[in-house]
Amino acid sequence: MLRLLFWRKVRSSVNTLTHLTPYERARNGAFALAGLGLLAGLYGLFHKMLAYLATVQLVGQLLLWKLTAMVMLATFMMVAISGLLTSLTTLYYSFDLKFLMNAPLSLRTIFMDKAAESLFFCSWMIGLVQVPYVLALVRVNHYGAGFFLAFLLLMLPFLALAAAVGIAFTLLLLYLFPSSRTRDVVWVLSSLSLTVLYGLARFAEPERLIRPDALKVVAEYLQYLQAPTAPYFPSWWLTAALKAAAAGKTAVLARYAALLYGSAAVVYAALVALAGKVYFIGYSGAQAGRQRRLAVTIAPMTERLLGMRRELGALFWKERRTFFRDVKHWSQILLVMGLVFVYLFSIRRLPLDNADLKSLVSFLNVGAAGFVIAALGLRFTYPAISLEGRSWWVLGSSPVTVGAIMRQKFLFSAIPMTLIALVLSLATNHLLQADRFAAWLSAGALLLITWALAAMGIGFGALFPMFTVENIHQIESSLGGFVYMASSLGYIGASITILAWPMQMHFQQRFGRADAWNWRIAGSCAVLLLLLNAAAFVVPWTLGQRTLERYEQ
Amino acid sequence: MIEIRGLVKRFGDLTAVDRLDLTVAAGEIFGFLGPNGAGKTTTVKLITGLLKPDAGSVRVAGFDVATQTLQAKRVLGLVPDEPFVYPKLSGAEYLRFIGELYGVPLSEQRRRIPELLAMLELTDWGGELLESYSHGMRQKLVIAAVLLHEPKVLVLDEPIVGLDPKSARLVKELLRTLAKRGTTVFMCTHILEIAEKLCARVGIMISGRLAALGTLDELRTRSKGDLPSGRGGSLPGRDGEPLLAEGRGLEDVFLSLTGGHEYASLLRNL
Repeated sequence: MLRLLFWRKVRSSVNTLTHLTPYERARNGAFALAGLGLLAGLYGLFHKMLAYLATVQLVGQLLLWKLTAMVMLATFMMVAISGLLTSLTTLYYSFDLKFLMNAPLSLRTIFMDKAAESLFFCSWMIGLVQVPYVLALVRVNHYGAGFFLAFLLLMLPFLALAAAVGIAFTLLLLYLFPSSRTRDVVWVLSSLSLTVLYGLARFAEPERLIRPDALKVVAEYLQYLQAPTAPYFPSWWLTAALKAAAAGKTAVLARYAALLYGSAAVVYAALVALAGKVYFIGYSGAQAGRQRRLAVTIAPMTERLLGMRRELGALFWKERRTFFRDVKHWSQILLVMGLVFVYLFSIRRLPLDNADLKSLVSFLNVGAAGFVIAALGLRFTYPAISLEGRSWWVLGSSPVTVGAIMRQKFLFSAIPMTLIALVLSLATNHLLQADRFAAWLSAGALLLITWALAAMGIGFGALFPMFTVENIHQIESSLGGFVYMASSLGYIGASITILAWPMQMHFQQRFGRADAWNWRIAGSCAVLLLLLNAAAFVVPWTLGQRTLERYEQ
Repeated sequence: MIEIRGLVKRFGDLTAVDRLDLTVAAGEIFGFLGPNGAGKTTTVKLITGLLKPDAGSVRVAGFDVATQTLQAKRVLGLVPDEPFVYPKLSGAEYLRFIGELYGVPLSEQRRRIPELLAMLELTDWGGELLESYSHGMRQKLVIAAVLLHEPKVLVLDEPIVGLDPKSARLVKELLRTLAKRGTTVFMCTHILEIAEKLCARVGIMISGRLAALGTLDELRTRSKGDLPSGRGGSLPGRDGEPLLAEGRGLEDVFLSLTGGHEYASLLRNL
């Protein structure tokens, strides 16, 4: 039966691909190439970093493997959290669950089908980013194809184990708290705990461990580098297996591979057994709609009172209400708050004692904070259009233009993103005590980047609308989401590159060069920045608007 | 009123709507029938601007849907076959949202929203989130929403499906009242009894083409006498019999055109 269920997924995917219109084929092809470009860029970056680490005398290889272990640990954590968020929708709210539950299928079979779906959606994109990292490792250390093959074979149980954490949590949560309101409270409290844990882990200042000066003697530092990173986590098993593959130690490789595959088999067998007992209880609870008696008041909308035009105000009002009533968004907001807090803490702890260095970091902060904003854009802005879902007909048949809908979505995203950008930028500049020029340049650049990323998020979201998906994570992890992220990172990189010129001239002036400012170069930078932003604002927006106007529901 | 001229819609190799010509007058209830996949819902989407035609035009209350889209949509009301609505809004909030989108004054909304909720027996549910509504309740809410902005042209795709008998009767009465007030009603339905009782004229669409069009009496009269063939006129049934012989209902016309009598032998073998 499970094979039949997988067959339907494969057929659906094949049919989707074979039924693309020439336009869709060209669009997807072009943007898939852009995505590959991003992977190639990441590969270049990883290669440069690993090649540098490898040249560090004596400890080069130790550093390299320590970093690999950390990357794998971070991957494990990200997939686990993503699995947590994905499995809730996939296991309990999929459109086809009613059909599957009515079909002569065992609960365990349905669970396996949905668990596989969760595993795929929560891990493919994060897993894909590992590929350029490992390829860079292969190139730096001249490993053979066997090493890469071992990596590919071991990734499956590794990702499966990470996803199992999220799936198991969701399974138990829905079983223990079938009542929707209690479940919502537990869900938010869990997110809050996760945020606090994340903050606590950060406040423990783990970076002190990798700074040799923080440790008493060199021996301690070497011991730290050689010690396993989170040895009870599958991320270490994978790292150890890769190390063994690199060293040609087949027996060790086989042992760790067996550990990964064996653990995955045991964990999923346990989950399937558990699902047989608890899945249906959670499913039944999830089917009951949230009974929330709200007062029927027909008062003026706040948005209208704030001066928004009728249609824009109504759309904004609807967006605000539906967004904040979805408990899944609360957990994300809590995590974002934690992220911002930890970001600022990290800036504060940077060991900088030089005013020029502080100003430089303030400028480079544009890239780091831009990345945070892009990640938020992928989570909140890009899916905004697709989240209209099957209710799209309401707007499609009403007297509002697609442009107005997109403008409202832009505004709804841009306002909180601007606030976050301002906090990240102003607080960072304050903590660093950056000079006035660097502070203004970085703050202005980050604001511009934020608005451009919001416009790109809405534009790409309209270019790749997915009104029939059931899960926000399917939207994020789709080709369009990947393209949005790739384009965002490319845009941030290009912005930083352009702004580096005036920044360089500013530093030259600080260092005493009287004729540091070349106004022709400064003017060219301004024009380039203008062109870049015009492209970032206009191209995805126009293409998206056109696509949405022609969208055939 | 609705004026459809030479309307064509293709999906790849499939022509879902093929050179459709149709006029529905103000105050008329028009029944649009056809087998599954005949192109009825596609036609509804073309009328309401949810799809762009490959050829031809649709005018609603004098506005071209393709070029005067917003004006056309302002006077249109749609009740789709699947009433998907925002699960995180309450019933009253959904009506409020629609009221704002269509420019219904606040004072009017304050008066009409409780009235409409009461009329469709949703008062007790007005404050509940739509995710807890049944299919029929959502259907009633969507009907309430179109009534709120009082469209000149009402397009309904299977409006009775999912409604309890009392609500179904209420909706039928509502449609009659609206038509008397001058609202044009274009209704797709598979329930032939409703079409017979409610609609001034019916059109039967088969494979994207309008195979029969007229009032029941016209179809009956024509089918008794000469049997002109061609689009827009009444056609002979597949078995060669007149479409609407004395004593035969719309179901027989429908089955003659679309096939269905042949299933009798298949059913016997079940």
